[in-house]
Amino acid sequence: MVRLIITRLSTSIVSLIILITLVFFMVHATPGGPAYSILGVKATAKAIAAMNLKLGLAVPLPRQYAVWWWHLLQGRLGYSYQVNQPVALLIRVYMLNTLALYLSAIVLGTILSIIVGLIQGVYYDRLAGRIIGGLQLIFYALPSFFVGTILILIFAVQFRWFPTGGISDLRIENPGIFVYISHLTLPVLTVAIVSIAGLSRYFGQTVREELTKEYVRTAAAKGVAFPRILFGHVLRNALRPLVTILGLSFPYIFAGSIVVESVFSYPGLGWLLWQSALGQDYPVISAIVLLIGVLTILGNLLADIVNGLLDPRERFD
Amino acid sequence: MSANLDILPVAGRSPTGLLARGMNAVGDNMAMSLGILLAVFVVLFSFAGGLVYHVDPYAIHGDAIFQPPSAAHLLGTDQIGRDEMARLIAGGKSTLIVSLPAALLTIIVGAIYGMAAALGPGWFDKSLMRVLDAILALPGIVILIFFAALIPLNNLSLILLLGLTSWPGLARIIRNEAIAQRNRDFVMATRQMGASTWYIARVHLLRVMAPILVVNGTLLVGDSILALSGLSFLGLGVQPPYPSWGGLLQSGLDLIELNPYWLIIPAGFLVFASMLSASLIGNALVAGWGGRR
Repeated sequence: MVRLIITRLSTSIVSLIILITLVFFMVHATPGGPAYSILGVKATAKAIAAMNLKLGLAVPLPRQYAVWWWHLLQGRLGYSYQVNQPVALLIRVYMLNTLALYLSAIVLGTILSIIVGLIQGVYYDRLAGRIIGGLQLIFYALPSFFVGTILILIFAVQFRWFPTGGISDLRIENPGIFVYISHLTLPVLTVAIVSIAGLSRYFGQTVREELTKEYVRTAAAKGVAFPRILFGHVLRNALRPLVTILGLSFPYIFAGSIVVESVFSYPGLGWLLWQSALGQDYPVISAIVLLIGVLTILGNLLADIVNGLLDPRERFD
Repeated sequence: MSANLDILPVAGRSPTGLLARGMNAVGDNMAMSLGILLAVFVVLFSFAGGLVYHVDPYAIHGDAIFQPPSAAHLLGTDQIGRDEMARLIAGGKSTLIVSLPAALLTIIVGAIYGMAAALGPGWFDKSLMRVLDAILALPGIVILIFFAALIPLNNLSLILLLGLTSWPGLARIIRNEAIAQRNRDFVMATRQMGASTWYIARVHLLRVMAPILVVNGTLLVGDSILALSGLSFLGLGVQPPYPSWGGLLQSGLDLIELNPYWLIIPAGFLVFASMLSASLIGNALVAGWGGRR
């Protein structure tokens, strides 16, 4: 187990170093550079040189690279060009909103996927299984921005059950928890709907594979009732790979929530990334990109370790 | 004894009943036919739509501003009086003209990278794979947004952007498959006879892996259309005044309080139809070739 953790940890660290280096070179390879995008098209050469000096971009590239690392290790992420606030502070505020959205969506999506996957796995060759399979194909093809917009159109514009976007109502003085929940409902539904197609399909196939295994026939032959086999044995075994896939699908579900946050003007990391990209706010963009990369690498690491704990065979891979 | 043994599937057994087997075959064929039908519809709509529907997508009809669908304007007009149907056709053209070449570029880069990793020396493979892991740690849309903020956006730069950022997934599939193939007897025999690595890659591996390339290529076309539409939706793809499906959907969202269903549903449906078509064809090909991708 210790060996597994050490090998996985070292590959993760190498990936991290490469990622940080890639982000550095991407930002510093910008045509014109940050000074150009801060000062605008009409900037004089002199103003750009002065701004480069101020931003620390006038020194040789290797030195900039060293400074970049030095600052990162200290947790100094710089200042946003657009709002002139420390990037770390901005990210902390928006991160909480994203977590609220992402975690509720993933809990909802996983529960629904397990239910749908169980039905699909049991009735694989029958009508119910086929209908579910067809629906999965359709849902898989639905772009998140389309789903989100349609939900707004129906539930916020037609029925006026929920707000069209944002996180709270500025007109209300002390917004209670219900105001937040009503703002969260449609974005959470959108992310859950978009992620459920892939997750439930995967889980359905796992359940189906488990059902063909010897231990299931043995249990059935011994007279164990089917619900007991399904919930006592099959579900337990089929959930294990789901842990991995949840860890691995983190970037995809998160990517889905970037677009969804933009649809609902929901002030999370995805919305911040979008706004920073439109305003070419490089410190914020690179910090968010790094954060997502780090979280993804950690997610993969965690999934591997949890699997190692759940299944001893994984430890000697 | 439990009476429900027959609910358990058996490994390797296809559905027993004639009806079930028939439904499987019809299902696969139907999926393929529907996929091709949708693809033909999307392509014809985008490239030949203008021949049937003669309305200028940039013309402003001052007498019909923000009108729902009618006989004069089949899918209505937008907030400054431009014909939505004509804009969807033009938007399809500008979407496909970028995403199709981008998908092709992705396949080429992914195949070369994967092959190089599989056929190169061990240290080379290891380092290429580490770089791949680092890139795959970022969701595609994040990389796209990152670069879209850095570069000037036009058709060529968007093709390069999409084509040069979407290949890592395919590269990994190609690399794993090429490694599995390169140790097979016929490849070993060819190598013993003095064939060069380049010859083996070109003549043997590429041919064995053609199905994988075709299936993944099909799926990549869908992904490419989705990615470009997402970027355009965020204002980081095809730039105004040129219409695109993603951009049109965004302008519908801007007016959402006015219930502009005609500006939202058709644009979203076209992206959906492209994605569905690609995954139907891709899945049917996988089923037909009896393997997984």
